Amino acid sequence: MPPKDKKCGSRALAPDILSNLPDNIIDAIVMLLPLRDAVRTSILSKTWRYNWCRLPVWTIDQALWDVTNNAISPTTRFTNIIYHLLTLHVGPISKFTLSIATLGNCPKIDNLIYFLSRNGIQHLVLQFPRGNLYKLPSSFFTCSQISHLSLQNCLIMFPPAFKGFEKLVSLELCDVTIPSKFIGSLISCCPLLEHLVLHSTITNHIQIRAPKLRSFDFTGKLIFLSLEGVPLLEKLSLVDTGYSGKAGKCGIAKFLESFPALKHLHLDYFSVRFFAGAVPKLLPFALNSLKHLHLSEFSLDELDVASCALYLIKSFPFLQEIEIEVYDDWVEPAGGDVTSEILEKVKSLSNVTLNHLRVVEFAGITGTDPEMQLIKLLLAKSPKLARMLIKPGVGDDTPKSRIEVLAEITQFRRASPRAEVVYKLA
Amino acid sequence: MSSSTKFLTLKTCDDKKFVLDEAIAVRSQTIKNMVEDDCVSNVIPLPNVDSKTMTKVIEYWKKHSEEGISKDMLMDFDKAFVKVHHSILHALILAANFLNDKEMLDMMCQEVVDRIKGKTPEEIRKEFDIKNDFTPEEEEEIRKENAWAFE
Repeated sequence: MPPKDKKCGSRALAPDILSNLPDNIIDAIVMLLPLRDAVRTSILSKTWRYNWCRLPVWTIDQALWDVTNNAISPTTRFTNIIYHLLTLHVGPISKFTLSIATLGNCPKIDNLIYFLSRNGIQHLVLQFPRGNLYKLPSSFFTCSQISHLSLQNCLIMFPPAFKGFEKLVSLELCDVTIPSKFIGSLISCCPLLEHLVLHSTITNHIQIRAPKLRSFDFTGKLIFLSLEGVPLLEKLSLVDTGYSGKAGKCGIAKFLESFPALKHLHLDYFSVRFFAGAVPKLLPFALNSLKHLHLSEFSLDELDVASCALYLIKSFPFLQEIEIEVYDDWVEPAGGDVTSEILEKVKSLSNVTLNHLRVVEFAGITGTDPEMQLIKLLLAKSPKLARMLIKPGVGDDTPKSRIEVLAEITQFRRASPRAEVVYKLA
Repeated sequence: MSSSTKFLTLKTCDDKKFVLDEAIAVRSQTIKNMVEDDCVSNVIPLPNVDSKTMTKVIEYWKKHSEEGISKDMLMDFDKAFVKVHHSILHALILAANFLNDKEMLDMMCQEVVDRIKGKTPEEIRKEFDIKNDFTPEEEEEIRKENAWAFE
């Protein structure tokens, strides 16, 4: 509660100063309110009655119909709300978020999409329920102003005359069914595209060419992906769900060659494994732009994968940050011989100096020999290290107890006198 | 380009003058445009802002221009800054709008929003001295018209 100041006497001439604010500010305030609160301002006074109807940003989600009459089905309640909004709204709608993943079946919303397509929609988020896939109506493809598009659980079929979204900058497709020949052409006919997210979308081979693309986040089968015409790519995240039985389908060096501007690289265990086939000993080229390496769901339990991970750490002369998250469910590592080979691989790090490395985060470590060796060498070979954060794994059945891991780490020599080593339990 | 500090004189609607480092004053896009267009003579008149409000605005600008101030400190400052009677909030919004300081305007609008969110219409009217000019019948009609929002 604000302090109850004394009334500002003569200045408070109008009884209602909030209503006297200029329209642009009233609109900004209404826009920041949740939709329900925005509509409720209609009852404040006559000046407020229709202020909300100009609202250019709508967020429609479960919160709106959850509190309404339980006797009516959620889909009907949702439809009533949409009808009400559409009939009273005036002016453009620039941003629209529809989150109806929790509705059992998808209501009829073709008219709503048509309405948005005629009202200057720029930022569109549509999240549909799983199950019966909603097919986007043809009006969707006429949203010529669209710059941000995010779709979840729907079906896209292109009308033959579709020319692309000229202004599209950001595209996210999660669990979207789309014929693979269309996805490539959708991406290549959006000339301004900078951000692309594809999660479990692809069912067949696709080629991505996007001359302006800066960030790409992919979860799916790497074997189908071909990523070549992306000269500006800065941020790449790959999670492979292909789980190919044998490691190594494609060489890491050849793959990285396509991204001369890459700054952030995130790979999960299976995508490292995917690229671990032909790991060269020497660098065929230097990727100087790379600053941040993130390995998730990771483990140093397989020789090919460990070699590839080490290769990555050694390949980027200007690497500043390494983040490694070890896979939660710790499993017994491969037999003694393999472990000693992996250990040898890790030790090869002692031939390099990581002159720019400043931050290391190592989460979920279980205390295996390769892990401990990696920590030891990262500390010993990084003269500029400012901070190393180590979080032990949660399981109890690990090779070393948390306190043993901690005791061992405290003995490691540090090349950087300023290095702060943080050991974080829980 | 001169590296020495330049000062601007701002004159509020009640004829009070404020002398301010130009580097701080250009947080206002309005003043910045005037400086860039070279239409600053000696005194910049601010016909829409009174001295009491301008004092608060300058307090905000100076705090946000302090060197080496931490994010947490700024957050605490902002939190305390917006906790004022709605009449002052109103004056600050109008000033931020006229001076075209988007950061400050957004913060003030967010404060109004926080004071509206989750409240009943009666509570909001009380908070901002809004006079209910509807008859009970009209009010009933509006509740019906927007039924889902009032359930």
